[in-house]
Amino acid sequence: MGLILPYLATLMVFFFIYNIFTWGLNIQFGYAGVLDFTFITFVACGAYFAGVFALGPGSKQTGFEWILGLNWPFPIALLAGAAAAGILGLIIGLIAINRLRSDYMAIVTLAAGTVIYGLVSNFTPLFDGFDGLAGLTQPFSQILPLNSNQFTYLWVLVSGVVMVVCWFIAQRILNSPLGRTMRATRDDQDAADTFGKDTVRVRLIAMSMGAVLAGVGGALLMGFIGAFSPAGWTSGETFVVFAAMIVGGTGNNWGGVVGSFVVAVLINEATRYIPPIQADPTLIPTVRNMLIGASLIVVLWVRPQGIIPEARRRLYQLPLRPGKPPAAEVESA
Amino acid sequence: MGLILQSVGFGLVTASVLAVASVGLTLQFGVTNYINFAYGTFLMLAAYLTWTLSVKAHLNFILAAAVACVLMGVIAVGVARTIFKHFVDRQAPLFYLLIVTFGLSLIVSNVIEAIWGPGFETYNLSVGTPLTLGPFSLTPTQLLIMGLAVVLMLGIHFMLTRTVLGKAMRAMSDNRDLAQVSGINTDRITMWTWFITGCLAGLAGIALTVTTVSFGPTSADSFLFVIFAAVILGGIGHPYGAMLGALVLGIITEVSAVVVSSAYKDDIAFVALIVVLLLRPQGLITSRGRA
Repeated sequence: MGLILPYLATLMVFFFIYNIFTWGLNIQFGYAGVLDFTFITFVACGAYFAGVFALGPGSKQTGFEWILGLNWPFPIALLAGAAAAGILGLIIGLIAINRLRSDYMAIVTLAAGTVIYGLVSNFTPLFDGFDGLAGLTQPFSQILPLNSNQFTYLWVLVSGVVMVVCWFIAQRILNSPLGRTMRATRDDQDAADTFGKDTVRVRLIAMSMGAVLAGVGGALLMGFIGAFSPAGWTSGETFVVFAAMIVGGTGNNWGGVVGSFVVAVLINEATRYIPPIQADPTLIPTVRNMLIGASLIVVLWVRPQGIIPEARRRLYQLPLRPGKPPAAEVESA
Repeated sequence: MGLILQSVGFGLVTASVLAVASVGLTLQFGVTNYINFAYGTFLMLAAYLTWTLSVKAHLNFILAAAVACVLMGVIAVGVARTIFKHFVDRQAPLFYLLIVTFGLSLIVSNVIEAIWGPGFETYNLSVGTPLTLGPFSLTPTQLLIMGLAVVLMLGIHFMLTRTVLGKAMRAMSDNRDLAQVSGINTDRITMWTWFITGCLAGLAGIALTVTTVSFGPTSADSFLFVIFAAVILGGIGHPYGAMLGALVLGIITEVSAVVVSSAYKDDIAFVALIVVLLLRPQGLITSRGRA
């Protein structure tokens, strides 16, 4: 009994953080149709920058080496991580969304992610290379000295509050004129262009906003675990968020909640606590990854709209007389 | 200076591997019109099949490689028939197909890891003493890979220009509907294309792992986007462009390994990719010889 509550709290933290990830990817892909195959890079960007803002200075002598090291309070570090991820999203977006077709976009994001991964892992002065950042003291420990279980409960609260804020941001964008333009761009870019919408700019905003949410989630992860290294953001992690978004349903944020619960919590995180099989310790992780890959394909096959489909909007139909399609009226007129 | 010339020699070897891989990817793109993000895992799967056949089953290496290539072709056809065809037939959005191939790459790479484990393997091949040819110094294996690539490229050229299959593939990549009404069995041509792309992926994977000596399940991950860079540089869907792109990128990456540092090889390829995308997104070759 003593273990179950902290365990559930840990899962809850991951659930909240993955919700933020899934909404972020949803803004990019579900709203605006930007195919970002390196979502996890933005998560990492947020985590690293939050880390170096919150951590003390690193030095070569101790073997822990990183830039900045400002010792700033965690909330500011979180915002810094979010901003850094947003800027990175804008930079990659500027290259990828250059009036190119969607497969080019996917290639550029994937390639950029691979290069950044290699750079961060090999270039130690930046974020301590492959060893990564470590040794972050519990955020808020000066005001609230807590043991590790109590800290987990605190983090349920913190990530919950941040999640609610992100929910309002994501919903706000979805229901705004900007969100409408994003969906129009996704559904038919030429048509949106024809109506005078700046589709490149709209998709850049989506890319950047999605990256901001990724960065917020990454910063929360950094604060929760206290360490972050390249082993934590291999390209496989992007699949988890993609699978969560596709399974739950794209273009709406409730789908993201369902998807991140099914994929990220039930398949991805909860199975990490299954003891490894002695004879073959890699079997459970590989089967888990196969399941995640298969869930992407199966859902796109049988139910591409996901568990919770995007609501059909009727704004563009506006029939003058209900029950009659507008096309028939044009013909009769 | 001698070192740079020497690295040009290595560049030609890399270019040979890259050319085989790029032509395989671009041929498939030309005919089917979507990118296969699982292509990198195809390379590794063939390499591991060759390893099992030659090291575990003690088959002759050349025979093992040939069997693995054909097997990879069959697997590619199998995947295309069972999974991709479903989405193509329903005219699913391009997004779906890209995500499906992306998901497939996760599945295949984990199948590889589940069967062969995450460790590194090597073929039991003797490296051979390097031969010195002018400024270049290359092993017999490397020369063999280069020779094989040249023969293959000529073979692809003759297939595309002289055979019914090649002409049908070019017609399909030009205009699929027009090809279909002209009586070309597009289904059959598509499946042959997948077989060829699978074989070429297999061959490239084996050549890649022979040149890198030891290999693990993720060895082709960064190579995949050097392939993408070569394909885009040459103009996506153009086999001759892909050959040219492979030659340029192969030499650029190897020379930069000497001039800058071998740790930043991938970054140089990425910079080349970005420069091409910004300046000439349609690629070097646009109209002539599209497949």
